[in-house]
Amino acid sequence: MNGTNPPSSAATARALEDKQSLKRSVQAAFDETQDARKLPLNNGYTSKVRVLDRYEVVGFISSGTYGKVYKAVGVKGQSGEFAIKKFKPDKEGETIQYTGISQSAVREMALCSELSHPNMIHLVEIILEDKCIYMVFEYAEHDLLQIIQHHSQPTRHPIAASAIKSILFQLLNGLLYLHTNWVLHRDLKPANIMVTSKGEVRIGDLGLARLFYKPLHSLFNGDKVVVTIWYRAPELLLGSRHYTPAVDLWAVGCIFAELLSLRPIFKGEEAKMDSKKTVPFQKNQMQKIVEILGMPTKEKWPGLTHQPEYTQLQSMSSAVREAGQGKTGLEAWYWNTLKSTGYQDSPPSASPGPQGLDLLAKLLEYDPTKRLTAEQALQHPYFTANGERVTANCFEGMTTQYPTRRVSRDDNDIRTGSLPGTKRGGLPDDSLTGRATKRMKD
Amino acid sequence: MAANYWASTQRRHWQFSRESLNEVRQQLEDEEKTIVQQYPLPDRRLLSILFNQLLVKLGKRLNVKQQALATAQIYVRRFYSRVEIRRTNPYLVLATAFYLACKMEECPQHIRSVVAEARNAWPEYIASDVSKLGECEFYLISEMNSQLIVHHPYRTLHEIQDKLKMAQEDISLAWSIINDHYLTDLPLLVAPHVIAVTAIFLAVTLKPTQTGLQAAASTVAGLSSATSGANDSIGTVSGVPNTQQKKVQYLVSWLAEGEIDIKAVVECSQEIISLYDVWEQYNEKTCKEQIARFVKARGLDK
Ligand SMILES: Nc1ncnc2c1ncn2[C@@H]1O[C@H](COP(=O)(O)OP(=O)(O)O)[C@@H](O)[C@H]1O
Ligand SMILES: [Mg+2]
Repeated sequence: MNGTNPPSSAATARALEDKQSLKRSVQAAFDETQDARKLPLNNGYTSKVRVLDRYEVVGFISSGTYGKVYKAVGVKGQSGEFAIKKFKPDKEGETIQYTGISQSAVREMALCSELSHPNMIHLVEIILEDKCIYMVFEYAEHDLLQIIQHHSQPTRHPIAASAIKSILFQLLNGLLYLHTNWVLHRDLKPANIMVTSKGEVRIGDLGLARLFYKPLHSLFNGDKVVVTIWYRAPELLLGSRHYTPAVDLWAVGCIFAELLSLRPIFKGEEAKMDSKKTVPFQKNQMQKIVEILGMPTKEKWPGLTHQPEYTQLQSMSSAVREAGQGKTGLEAWYWNTLKSTGYQDSPPSASPGPQGLDLLAKLLEYDPTKRLTAEQALQHPYFTANGERVTANCFEGMTTQYPTRRVSRDDNDIRTGSLPGTKRGGLPDDSLTGRATKRMKD
Repeated sequence: MAANYWASTQRRHWQFSRESLNEVRQQLEDEEKTIVQQYPLPDRRLLSILFNQLLVKLGKRLNVKQQALATAQIYVRRFYSRVEIRRTNPYLVLATAFYLACKMEECPQHIRSVVAEARNAWPEYIASDVSKLGECEFYLISEMNSQLIVHHPYRTLHEIQDKLKMAQEDISLAWSIINDHYLTDLPLLVAPHVIAVTAIFLAVTLKPTQTGLQAAASTVAGLSSATSGANDSIGTVSGVPNTQQKKVQYLVSWLAEGEIDIKAVVECSQEIISLYDVWEQYNEKTCKEQIARFVKARGLDK
């Protein structure tokens, strides 16, 4: 997955199959009595609302472990467009069975129903029908991954500094809301940060999010993998059991850096879980961080020596230089990056300047207790200096037109669907990508 | 109280007035007149006592913490404010609420272990097939509109026990009073912090003799007249031992400082005291029989 969700043709084939089964299920649903909800439990649960009574699916967006995301429009006069995230139940043998909803789906449903903020993706409704869960969201035309990719092709050209500032401000604003409500997102990355056609940033994908006011000990157990590895905070890499809102701020730092350089700043290779299911030390990822930030020291991060994987860290120390002589690694990285991405000293491609570096350094702070909080970050001079105002529309004043989200339309579906072999579980590579994705997520 | 309670779905969608709750329930019964008449049920609180005991049993077997059981009880109460109980298999609903609450309270249990334990405890009512429970989970979530995050009084108790310099035994008593309030409609009627304050108040007044009920009842009366703000009326309350009067006074002045509705605390106290009255009529066998009648007759266990 590596942060991207490209719609493959195989995925499209599956989408088609899916839609056909969707249609079939609707047909079946229509055959049942109008009074289904009055029947006692033993006659089965029947949804009072049916997805296809309310929405028309216009295409397929993305596929993950949990299921798929579709684009849809309302057929009951609802305005706007929608993204429907469909969770599929497990199959037991040939028939689809109720097997219990996964904890992450339950969390996502509960949190999305509870929260509401202009910088969070808006949940319209949840429909539980035919053993499937459909979460209906407002549709967001863009996401940060797509925007970053757009600026990487055909040649690298920088995202306007004003746009980055607006994106970051809105992102932090949404994050402040989450943290004030005791929610850790835990999976912030470009693909999970949506942007509407009006340039409003919407944090999405609460699949890994959770409340953190529950007793501390429960903050760790249960979840082995937290946050896609490139955006994973050093304390998590070092095996910390006490993770805090600071993990999300690290991810924001990584995203900021990626918006500037158009490449993930710490692009490590994930060490896979071994057969004993012990969580491996992500040495390569830690290495990437150390290469730019220098080795963390116990002087600057007093808690460092208490990290469970501290010895692992020491074992890699000889290979890399210590931070702190002259220009730090990050400072060098920053100015080099600005230059190579094509920022200039003056508009229209003015750079985010020294304030940007200062904010970035404070987000990519090793010590989680010193890392900026969302609230502090919003107060940073990067946003407030020179009485500049941060635009609420991140596209304001821009001439760039971003391409719309790739949605595979019906006709594509039909074409792919008629390819030989697709009826039997898709193209050969389908199973491969499917499994690879699964491993990343599990 | 956490700031987010005020914007919560609990406050916005699951807090009723007594009248509206009665109305909602009356409507459910009216829609099912025949079966309601055919299968009489004991006082709702007595049923809740049974449900709680059944949940505690599951909780012990699977080593699940109290807060998850509390959440499960809230789910059951919310669900039965939407669905007439005689249309359901309460044992299945309980096991499902338990399963769902464990996920929400971050102590997830495998669906197979929940079904196995439930079946072990109530073999006649739980099928070995996990899909029944999985299906019931859809039903529960759907009736609750996916509003699954529950705010509990335990947190407020935790927050204010130190401020009030409460003794350990008072804290435990308050804790168990909070546990008991899930047997009443209070969780659907008042905010969790009001429950917490009520529990503290009752713990402090009930404790010394444990003969308590009467004493507490008269303290409630005293507190009632103190709502106007006159602290000393507490001092004249009869039945409260002298040593406790100071604590009560302290509590009252603390209440007056904050923006806590003393009238609500009084009403909650009365509700809990009358729960303890009703409790004396509790008979597990009768409750189970009354449930068995409609479940068996209507084939809801199949
Ligand atoms: N509201 C939405 N509008 C448009 N696209 C969306 C929306 N929600 C999700 N998507 C697309 O679907 C992808 C997967 O959705 P996400 O919620 O992140 O699920 P996953 O758990 O698979 O990461 C996103 O990266 C995005 O491309
Ligand atoms: Mg995602």
